[in-house]
Amino acid sequence: MNFIAAGIIMMAAVIGAGFGMCYATSKAVDAAARQPEAASRIQTILLLGCALAESTAIYAFVVSLILATAG
Amino acid sequence: MTKTQIIEAAVAAVLLACTFAGYIYSKKKITDGATKKKKRAGKLWGMGVIISAWFLAGLFISVFSGKKSHLVIEFEMFSERIDVFGITLAKTTVIGLGVLIVLIILLILLRVFCISKFKTDSPGYLQTALETAVEFTDNFVKNATGEFTKKNLPPFVLSIAILMFGCAFSELFGLRAPTSDLTFTLSLGLCTFALLNIYGISKNGVIGRLKNMGGAVPAMRPLMIPLKAVSDISVPISLACRLFGNMMGGMLVMDLLKGVLGGYSSGLPAIAGLWFNLIHPGIQIYIFVTLSLTFIDEAMELE
Repeated sequence: MNFIAAGIIMMAAVIGAGFGMCYATSKAVDAAARQPEAASRIQTILLLGCALAESTAIYAFVVSLILATAG
Repeated sequence: MTKTQIIEAAVAAVLLACTFAGYIYSKKKITDGATKKKKRAGKLWGMGVIISAWFLAGLFISVFSGKKSHLVIEFEMFSERIDVFGITLAKTTVIGLGVLIVLIILLILLRVFCISKFKTDSPGYLQTALETAVEFTDNFVKNATGEFTKKNLPPFVLSIAILMFGCAFSELFGLRAPTSDLTFTLSLGLCTFALLNIYGISKNGVIGRLKNMGGAVPAMRPLMIPLKAVSDISVPISLACRLFGNMMGGMLVMDLLKGVLGGYSSGLPAIAGLWFNLIHPGIQIYIFVTLSLTFIDEAMELE
């Protein structure tokens, strides 16, 4: 039962994080194409945003690890 | 050794012999008149030699170690505990201390034998590399924290990066990385939390820090300060969980790869390990450092 819960948690979290990262990347590509001289600054902001979007999936991963190992 | 394994070994040996003969034959032809097509054929034969040798080696390893190539994963959230001089310590703590000792010895050797010989007028390779690293860190911190930059921040950032890279490097030796333990990452996050408060208070004073936490509107401050305090307390937890989850994910993927391949995992995890043990931790170090600097900068802001 715990494994099913862990799987559902991971599925929901990864869908959200994937959409968030894809949206951020598409906006960053737009911005970099409009202003190529600001590309390095945009890259830093993009990495930060992707890390923050990814962290929700990471929290879900940690929770599902706890669920799967707690037995 | 079962019957299927004997058949597999025979097939692998015949394949290896055939591809090796083909490789030597194509090599001989290339020396006569090298065309593009013949060179490509030589590369193809070489690839065949490597693949069949890998197949044979994997077969022998799985026969002699007695391990089947089905999925066996032994995973624990926290590592097992071992006795060191009568004290019970987690294995990752011991590995982390070992990494620290190795790094300290290396840096002392560097200080005694290399840095004392540096010249200002004609820098060598090592001096240029070190100066580039220090200058890059200085500029990075200056860009991230803006006008509130502090003199002690670049050494903190560089030492944390070196420590985390050393920890990631220990995974290449088959040990469990200390960064895939929640206690290690939480202690790194607490370092950031302490720095955040120390710099914030030394910059603005206690009352200035509270004003900074409360926001611009004075009437809202009693409501906003507890909320901001909660979000500040969650800083080390979120940093720790992010780093731990990423490192643990990389370790689990490597374990899965080894578990699926079983005896055939000779050489392949080394290639995958380049991504999961070196580049991925590098990205995580960058993110950890950038987020720490962002939080510290936010705490030092004047209202």
